[in-house]
Amino acid sequence: MNQRIRRLAVALLALYAILFVQLNVIQVGRKSNLDADARNTRLTVRTFNDPRGEITTIDGKVIAESIRSEPGSEHPWKRVYADGELYAHVTGYYTFAYGATQIERVANDVLAGRTAEQQVKGLASLFDGGDTTGTVVTTIDSKIQAAARRALGEREGSVVVVDVRTGAVKALWSFPSFDPNLLTTDDDDLAGSIIRYLNDVPGDPLLANSYQQRYMPGSTFKVITTAAALDAGTIGLESVFAEESEFLPPQTTDPITNYKDKVCGGDLIEVFRRSCNTPFARTALELGPQKLVAATQRFGIGESLPFDLPRSAASTFGTADYFEDNLPLLAIGGFGQGNTQMVPLHMALVAASVANGGAMMKPYVIDSTRDHDGRLLDRTRPSVWKQTMTPESSRILAQLMTEVVRDGTASCCFQLANGVQAAAKTGTAQLNGPGEPERSHAWIIGFAPVDTPRYAIAVMLKGTNAEISEGTGGRLAGPVAKAVMDVALTR
Amino acid sequence: MTAPDYSIANRRRSIELGLVIAAGVITAGAYTLATLGKNSVIPPRILPFLGVLLAVLLFAHIAVRRLAHGADSTLLPIAVLLNGLGYVMIARLSERLAGLQTTWTFIAIATFVVVLLFVERVNDLARYQWHFFGAAAVLLLLPMVPGLGFSSGGARIWVNIGPINFQPGEFAKLALALFFAGYLSERGSLIARGTRQWGRFTIPEPRDLLPLIGAWAFSVVVMVGQRDLGSSLLFFTLFVVMVWVATERAGYLALGFALFAGACFAAYHLFDHVQTRVAIWLDPWSRYDGKGYQLAQAMFALGSGGTSGTGLGLGDPTRIPEAKNDFIFAAIGEELGLFGATAILLAFVVVIGAGLRTALRTQRPFEKLLATGLTTILGVQAFIIIGGVIRVVPLTGITLPFVSYGGSSLVANYAILALLIRTSDASARRLGEIPDRPTIRERWEARRARRHEQAAS
Repeated sequence: MNQRIRRLAVALLALYAILFVQLNVIQVGRKSNLDADARNTRLTVRTFNDPRGEITTIDGKVIAESIRSEPGSEHPWKRVYADGELYAHVTGYYTFAYGATQIERVANDVLAGRTAEQQVKGLASLFDGGDTTGTVVTTIDSKIQAAARRALGEREGSVVVVDVRTGAVKALWSFPSFDPNLLTTDDDDLAGSIIRYLNDVPGDPLLANSYQQRYMPGSTFKVITTAAALDAGTIGLESVFAEESEFLPPQTTDPITNYKDKVCGGDLIEVFRRSCNTPFARTALELGPQKLVAATQRFGIGESLPFDLPRSAASTFGTADYFEDNLPLLAIGGFGQGNTQMVPLHMALVAASVANGGAMMKPYVIDSTRDHDGRLLDRTRPSVWKQTMTPESSRILAQLMTEVVRDGTASCCFQLANGVQAAAKTGTAQLNGPGEPERSHAWIIGFAPVDTPRYAIAVMLKGTNAEISEGTGGRLAGPVAKAVMDVALTR
Repeated sequence: MTAPDYSIANRRRSIELGLVIAAGVITAGAYTLATLGKNSVIPPRILPFLGVLLAVLLFAHIAVRRLAHGADSTLLPIAVLLNGLGYVMIARLSERLAGLQTTWTFIAIATFVVVLLFVERVNDLARYQWHFFGAAAVLLLLPMVPGLGFSSGGARIWVNIGPINFQPGEFAKLALALFFAGYLSERGSLIARGTRQWGRFTIPEPRDLLPLIGAWAFSVVVMVGQRDLGSSLLFFTLFVVMVWVATERAGYLALGFALFAGACFAAYHLFDHVQTRVAIWLDPWSRYDGKGYQLAQAMFALGSGGTSGTGLGLGDPTRIPEAKNDFIFAAIGEELGLFGATAILLAFVVVIGAGLRTALRTQRPFEKLLATGLTTILGVQAFIIIGGVIRVVPLTGITLPFVSYGGSSLVANYAILALLIRTSDASARRLGEIPDRPTIRERWEARRARRHEQAAS
C-alpha cells in the first residue's frame, strides 16, 4: 500500500502545482487584462475612494484638487475644478460612473499614488499614515490661458500657445468648453444626462477644438507649401510670380482665383505678404504630388499629434496617388483649401518650427509629476518630433512671415506691445461653394519676438457665424493673437 | 535495557505549541490589519480577542499533549492557521457571520477534543464499519426527506432539525471514509486477487464488490438528487483512491475513471445545470450578466490582488457572490495576493504531507486506509473548490476545509483532523516513541474485569 500512498502524494502534489500555475496565470499574467476590463469596477471604486493629488499650472495655480465631501456623501472625496470651464480640456474630468478624461486619465496613476515609485515611498511611511498621492504640474500658464479665453470671447474657436524651443503648451483654450464640476456630482444619473447633453449640443464642448478637431487651414497652409518648395529649390527669394487674377490648372475648366478675384503677383515676399493664391497653386503643381505630399509628411500631417493628452486628432492633406488624378485639388491644397484639414495645435507647431530652425518639437502639457512632498517624480524632456524643413528655409520663411506683420495681411492687427516684432501668416478658409453665402474659418499663426523667438501661437475662429465669415483671418484672428501674445511675452 | 527515549514526542509537542501560538499571533495580526484597512482603527477588543484565541488554541494543544502525545506536530497548527485566516476573512466580509463562525469554531474545537477523548484506539473503529455505512447512507439521503431537507443556492444539501440547519454531507464523507477503510482493510486483498474467471480477466466475487458499488451508486444519487456536484466528485474520488490503494491494482483506478467519465458524460447530457457549469467554466465572460458573474468577479478579484494583494480590508471582495463560502479563496487572493493564496495552497500541501506520512508510518491496514482516505478528503476537497474558483476545473460548490464559513464543514473537518492526529499518535505509540499506557477506557475495563473476577472467585 505504501507505494500507492506515495504515488497518491505525488498525484495530489501535481494537482496543487496546477493550481499554483493557474494562480500565477491569473494574478500575474492576466492581471492587466482583468484590471482593464470595462466591467471591472474594482479599480475605479478603490481609486475613487482614495485621496487624489492636485493638478496645477506651471505658475502654481491649483486647477484640480480633491476635498473632503460633506458628511453623508457616497464617496469620501470630491473633485473640484476651481476655474470651471477654463482648464476643462487640460484636466478633463474624473467621475465615478463615466471614467476620466485628459490628465485625470493619463496621469491617473500619479494622482492616485499608484506608480511603483510612489508605492515604494508609501511603504516607508506606512505607519505614519503617509500620503502617497502625486501632483501633476502642467505647462499651462494661468495668465496666458486666461488671456486666451478673454481674447476669444464667446466665439467658437481655439487659441493655442506653445514654447517654440520645447513644445511646451502654454495655453490651450477652446470655446465652447464645459464645467467639469457639473460631472463630479454624487448623482451618477445626473452626471450621465449632463454628459449626454454635452455630447449632443452643437459645438461639441467635450471635444477640444484646439487638438481634438481639425479645420480647413486656408492660407496659413502656404507656410508648409513654401517650406516644401524652398527645400526642393523650386522657388527662392528671387522668384517672381506673374501678375494675374486667375490661373487654370490642368484637368479642369474651373480657374483658381485670388481673394476677391484681385490681380496679384510679384516676388516671393510680395505674394506671401499679400497672400496671393495663384502663385502657391502654381508652386504646388510644380512640386507635384509626390514631393508636396512628402513635405507634408515631414510636417507630421497624416499622423496623430504625439501629444500627452488622449485622443488627439491627425491633420490630413491627401495621398500622392489621389492627387495624380486630381491635380486641381493639389493646386488648391497648396493654399490650404480643398481637402486639407489641420489641427489648431498642429498649426501652432508649424509656426513654432519656423521659429526653431525647422525643428518641430513634440507638444506636451504635462511639465512634471511630483510626489506628495513635492519631490520630483518625472519631468517631460523636450524632444524633436519632426525636422520639417532645412534651417535655411526656416530663415527665409521667418523673413516672409515678418513681412506679413510689417506690411501684409496681418499688419492691421498683430503689432505687439513695446515694439516687439512678430512674424505671422493669416488664413481665411473658404467653406462655401461658389454662389453660396460666405462662410470661412479665420486663422492666424505666428511667433514672437522675431529675433529671439519664444512663443508661437495659432488662433482659429470657426466660420459658424456671420461676423467671422465676412472678415479675413488677419482682421478677426489677428487681434486675438495680439492680446494673447502681449500677455505671453510678459511671462 | 536502556530507559525508553521519549524526547522525539516531547519535541513534537514543543514544536506544535510554538506553531500554534504563531498561528494565533498571525490570526490576531491579520485581524488587526483587516480592521485597520477597513475602518482605519485598531480593533478595540484586540487584546481580549488575542486572549480568547490563545486560550482556545492552548486548550486544543493541551488536549493533544495529554491525549495524543506522540502525534504529528504540524496538523493542528496548520488547521488553526487556515481556520484563523478564514475567520479574519469572514469577519472582514460580515460582522454578523463572524460571531456565528466564532461559535462554530468553539464547537468544532470541542468536537476535536471529544473525538480525541473517545476514540482512543483508532483501530477499534474498524469494527463499526457497517454502522458507518448506514450512517453515511442516512446522512446522504437526509436532505431528500420531505420536510427535513431544503435547497439553498440550487443544491438540496441542507437539513433542518429544530433550530439547527446543517449539511449532513459534510459528516457523510467522514462516515464513508471510515466505512471504506474498514471494509477494504478486510476484503481489499480478496478483491484485489479475484476468484472468478471472466474471459481473460479474474474478477472478485460480486458479493465483495457489492458494497463498493453501492457506495458509488450513492454518490451518483447525490449528484442527481441533490444537484451537489462537488460532494459527488469528492465521494467518487475518495472511493476510487481508497480502492486503488487497498487493492494495489491500477485496473480499479482505470475502472474508476471510466465509470467517472461515464457519469460525467451522462450528467452533461441529462442535466442543464451541468452543461451550464461547464459552459461558464470555459467562458464566464459571455455569461457575465448571468451565471458567469460570480466566476468573472472572482477573476477580477484575483487580478486586482496581483502579486502582493490589495492588503487586508483594502480590497473589494464583497463584490463576489458567496465570497464567505465557496469563493473565500478568491477573497483571500484579492487581499493577500498571489503570496497569500500560495500560502493557502502550501498549507494544504502540508496537510496532505502530514496526513499521508501518517498513513505511511502506521502498519495497520485499517489505519493506513483511514489516514489515506481522510487526507484525500481534505486535499481533494480543497482542490475541487480552489480549482473551481480559479477555473482549473468546472466550479462545483463545496466548502474550502477550515477556511470557508459554515458550521457543519468546520465541525466535520476538525473531526477528521482529530482522527488523523489519533492515527498518527497510535503509530508513535507502537513505535515506542511514547509509553504505551493503557487508555482510560482500557484501565476502566480492566478494573471492571478484575472486580468481576474477584466477585466470581
